[in-house]
Amino acid sequence: MSDTPPTAGPGLAEVAGNGLWHNNPALVQLLGLCPLLAVTTTVVNALGLGLATLLVLVGSNAMVSLIRHQIGDAVRLPAFVLIIAAFVTCAELLMKAYAYELYEILGIFIPLIVTNCAILGRAEAFASKQPLGLAVWDGLMMGLGFLAVLLLLGAIRELFGSGTLLANMQLLLGSGASDWVVRPFGSEFSFLVLILPPGAFLVTGLLIAAKNAIDERREARRKAARGQLAKGAKRVRTTGHIA
Amino acid sequence: MRKVWETPGGIHPAENKHQSVGRPIGQLALPEQLVIALNQHAGPAAEPQVAVGQTVLKGERIARSGAAALHAPSSGTVVAIEQRPVAHPSGLPAECIVIACDGRDQWAERQPLADYRSVDRQRLLDTVAERGVAGMGGAGFPTAIKLATDRPITMLIVNATECEPYITADDALLRERADELLTGVDIASYLLGDPAERVVGIEDNKPEAIAALRAAIAARGADHAPVELAIFPTKYPSGGERQLIQIITGQELASGALPAELGIVCQNVGTLYALKRAIVDGEPLISRVTTVTGRACAVNGNYDTLIGTPISALLAHNRLAPERLARLIMGGPMMGIALPSSELPIIKTSNCLIAADDTEVAAEQPAQPCIRCGLCAEACPASLLPQQLFWHAQSQQHDKLEAHNLFDCIECGACSYVCPSNIPLVQYFRAGKGEIRQQRADKAKSDFARERFELRQQRLEQQERDKQAKREARKLAAEQAKAAQAASQASGDEAPANSAAAMIAAAQARAAARLASPEQQREKLERAIASSRARLERADANLAAASAEGADAEALKPLLAGQAAAAQKLAQAEQKLAALAEADSAASPATESTASADAELDAAGRAIAKARQAAAEREALSPAALLDRDIAALDKRLTKLRDKLVAADDDQRELLAASLAKLEAKQQALHSQREAVADGV
Amino acid sequence: MVFKPVSSPHRHAALSTARVMQWVIAALLPGIAVLTWQFGWGTLINCAIATATALLCEAAMVALRGRSIRFYLNDYSAAVTALLLAVALPPLAPWWLVVIATASAIVIAKQSYGGLGYNPFNPAMVGYVVVLISFPLEMSSWLSPQSLLAAGTSHASLGESLAVVAGASADGWTGATPLDLFKHGVNGQLVDTFYAEQPLFSGAALAGVGWEWVNLAFLAGGLVLLGRGIFTWHAPLAMLASLALMAALFWDGGSSTSGGSLPLHLFSGATMLGALFIITDPVSSAVSTRGRLVYGALIGVLIYLIRVWGNYPDGVAFAILLGNFAAPFIDNYTVPRSYGHQRARRATEHPQ
Repeated sequence: MSDTPPTAGPGLAEVAGNGLWHNNPALVQLLGLCPLLAVTTTVVNALGLGLATLLVLVGSNAMVSLIRHQIGDAVRLPAFVLIIAAFVTCAELLMKAYAYELYEILGIFIPLIVTNCAILGRAEAFASKQPLGLAVWDGLMMGLGFLAVLLLLGAIRELFGSGTLLANMQLLLGSGASDWVVRPFGSEFSFLVLILPPGAFLVTGLLIAAKNAIDERREARRKAARGQLAKGAKRVRTTGHIA
Repeated sequence: MRKVWETPGGIHPAENKHQSVGRPIGQLALPEQLVIALNQHAGPAAEPQVAVGQTVLKGERIARSGAAALHAPSSGTVVAIEQRPVAHPSGLPAECIVIACDGRDQWAERQPLADYRSVDRQRLLDTVAERGVAGMGGAGFPTAIKLATDRPITMLIVNATECEPYITADDALLRERADELLTGVDIASYLLGDPAERVVGIEDNKPEAIAALRAAIAARGADHAPVELAIFPTKYPSGGERQLIQIITGQELASGALPAELGIVCQNVGTLYALKRAIVDGEPLISRVTTVTGRACAVNGNYDTLIGTPISALLAHNRLAPERLARLIMGGPMMGIALPSSELPIIKTSNCLIAADDTEVAAEQPAQPCIRCGLCAEACPASLLPQQLFWHAQSQQHDKLEAHNLFDCIECGACSYVCPSNIPLVQYFRAGKGEIRQQRADKAKSDFARERFELRQQRLEQQERDKQAKREARKLAAEQAKAAQAASQASGDEAPANSAAAMIAAAQARAAARLASPEQQREKLERAIASSRARLERADANLAAASAEGADAEALKPLLAGQAAAAQKLAQAEQKLAALAEADSAASPATESTASADAELDAAGRAIAKARQAAAEREALSPAALLDRDIAALDKRLTKLRDKLVAADDDQRELLAASLAKLEAKQQALHSQREAVADGV
Repeated sequence: MVFKPVSSPHRHAALSTARVMQWVIAALLPGIAVLTWQFGWGTLINCAIATATALLCEAAMVALRGRSIRFYLNDYSAAVTALLLAVALPPLAPWWLVVIATASAIVIAKQSYGGLGYNPFNPAMVGYVVVLISFPLEMSSWLSPQSLLAAGTSHASLGESLAVVAGASADGWTGATPLDLFKHGVNGQLVDTFYAEQPLFSGAALAGVGWEWVNLAFLAGGLVLLGRGIFTWHAPLAMLASLALMAALFWDGGSSTSGGSLPLHLFSGATMLGALFIITDPVSSAVSTRGRLVYGALIGVLIYLIRVWGNYPDGVAFAILLGNFAAPFIDNYTVPRSYGHQRARRATEHPQ
């Protein structure tokens, strides 16, 4: 019996905001970095793995939420892993059936979705405490947030690393997508370091920095707006440095 | 030539000594006021021994604390004892005695002691302390304490190194007064028990001083103990005690150890000279040789300066050009303090004043980041890693600082001198040391508080356990009494004695279980007496009530037993109190409490006697006699009741009739018992 | 008079960080001169582009961090990084290659960690490695030394060089480096036969025509710095000694599978540059002299391993980065014994 008492759940908008921005699994929680850095060499790879992860996240969140009152506290983590593994197997089989070349390219990283801490983390921290609808919504938003970062990373690395964008989309989206590829820098361009792991770390770091910078700017703007309104109010600072 | 060793690290800054040694040691005019700081020595501040308005003579003692003493440098009147700014790195003012000089410079009576060897060592040390001789090379440590070491000393090192640039006070002293210095060395040797070796450590940049020393040694003659010279290459910082020991003996002083543990004592040249003046000439330490140098002064030189002279007087004598003065430093350029103003007094350790213009001091520059070039590690005489110490001091990682031996840093400043990034390394190390010391002090305090708390907890628990034991013992005694009672019903005459004895035994056990101080014992006994008296009174009351009601022997027995026990307890308590009072009165005069206790003892004694008598009576009787007595008592009760019945009105009559019936039944029982006893044994 | 309290010491030695860096730049000049003599204008153009990029990047990053640009640029450290990179990169390399290398070095390897004194890795080597693995083709196209050019021809003039840097091809002047040639060119031949066939080796006394002069010039510059006390002898000597030892140990007399002779390893490639200018970079090296001995030895061994059994013809850059990795660990175990202690302590020891 899960012994955490049910609290008033967060709203749909809040969950969405968390999953997509404020608590993004890749840029804020920094979970699931191994597949993030290893397979985002092209957009199609990133899309494939991202969709697989999304599917697993939604499914496992739903399942965990459904049986959250039946699972004992001591065995909850092995139970979650079993559920996640089941869904990962389904995703892997689907991919093997309908996108075989991509399945070959992604290789070991599809089964390794089981070890993606973002999924286990959401199951433990959210789905095991919230009702079904909210858990599914959270899984969807977290998965979309992860997918968004994967796509962005894949696009940047592919574009600046190999000089192409949307190459080999037919592996996932069918033969009609094979001519989506663009080569804005010409066919000889390559900046190999971005395709290799050091480049992955560098670009991820820059993305995290960009997100933090955006957050800081919004915060500063919000403070300035508030500061103008509450002009006469006295506030005593008890934390932070006094500039 | 005595062998010398080389120390690691070190730097070679420009010496700048030639400016101030060209002339003999000069004399100064008497200043108007002398300000003698009371915190000049290492250790606690001295206590003033004069009052405001008092006239003092030159050399008269004005303050004292332990082995440190301060004397009036000139005759005059004490005008104030107040806080004045002094030359301390903290910048804080200190208590000072201010003397207005009367110009006569009149000496107090001096007591020269030329034949010091005839004086007992301890008395001579006391004289040294009285005459205020303290270390003049740096910290102002009272010389009497340093020379009073009880370890065997095999070497006396005379520190004539003066390794810092600009300072020439010791050099000048050696050039002019080397013979007096050697007398000081002899006095120190005598105080140390005549160590086997006496070595003067001096750098090779003082050839005139070396020549003067050699001449003085040669002139002494063979009956004086030999003094060796150890001349070594000039390097900063060779004059530090630890470095000098390494240079002269090749040994390293263990971290945190004193030189005495190696059998070595180091003394500065100025201190030994002052020792000679104090003992042989009878003049307490009231002046020292101070170098005044720096380009902002037109004249540079060494002067015999009275302690307490305002620095401004010295600078004025040397024709200071104030507009050129960029920084006023007391001490050398490597370890000296930058003074906030010149209105500060000279103290016993003021060996040099540098009135520097802006070509002589490094302009303050912002520190650049450390590039870990390692020049500081090359310069460090203690083989530390200053760049790592800096790294950890910046981030306040105190355990890493200690792992890198921060407290072995002698704060010589060689690392800051060479740092290409202008990082004030020594300042960071001082701050780090201060933080760690503060942490240790806080930890000691909290450890002590925790210990006290734990002891208190233990004491409270012990009290709880004692109370519990008392309760148990009391319960046990009561049960024993009851058991004894029951047994005595069947067996007979041992009963009251048993019960009484059991109670007494229980009380004794309780007393034995307690360990208490005489005070506690007295309190306990007084409490015991009070409670016993109360119990006795209750027992008496009960007995009286029961007798009045006409109770029989059975009912009376426990009451009598109780009375006896209470009486016994009272008796014991009084005995103990008496014994305690005896012991106390043997050691100290008797107090009022014992007197009142005696009064109480009398009253208690009477009650005890009465109870004893009653118990004794009961004991004395045989079972048959006992029963007879009981029967007689019962008959008396019956008679009384019958009379009451006659006199009573209707509603009482029923009750009385019931009691009467009960009593008559009891009477029957007693009679049958009596007959049984008579028939039995 | 009232003065501000200032802490001791009140005098200072004349050396400053800027002065140290200026000496390093001065010591690089002989090497740059020899490179220009042997390989034309390419090196000087590289220097110019690299220095400009480095100063711009550093100024931008320092401004981004909200600090005084003038104060931070005045320590000449960006210029030193730029010159070291320029010397290591091939002459007549495309301008964007130099820019990317320098930008990576300054922005990523130096300023992102906090600027001078805080970088765990040598910035010049990081920049070099970034372009080495990204643009292998451009990084392996070196020039032939002056003495090997066809009689009558000389290296490109300044104008032609600038054109090549801007994008034109440089076919007429390309040639392999000695290490490159040795690694990929020996096809079952004995070393002596190979040397006799290759003009790059047959005309040389030690290790490759022209290249040996470059290394000797860097050695001379480094010895001047050693004499001035800018760095201590421990790290360079340890590296050269261990590299020599490895080369001597594994020299099998010149068979077709040998790893290269001792002179080849010591006097070709970036050996002298690495030994005297790059591992002596104090920020990223070990701290104590004993530590520097271990650090240098480790790098020497790694250079040999990568050159002979690794994928790259010259392993100096990678070896140095691996040494930078190991430096804090080496520091932990090589704290010197301080005065008054029986034995040296470990840096992570808990105080008694």
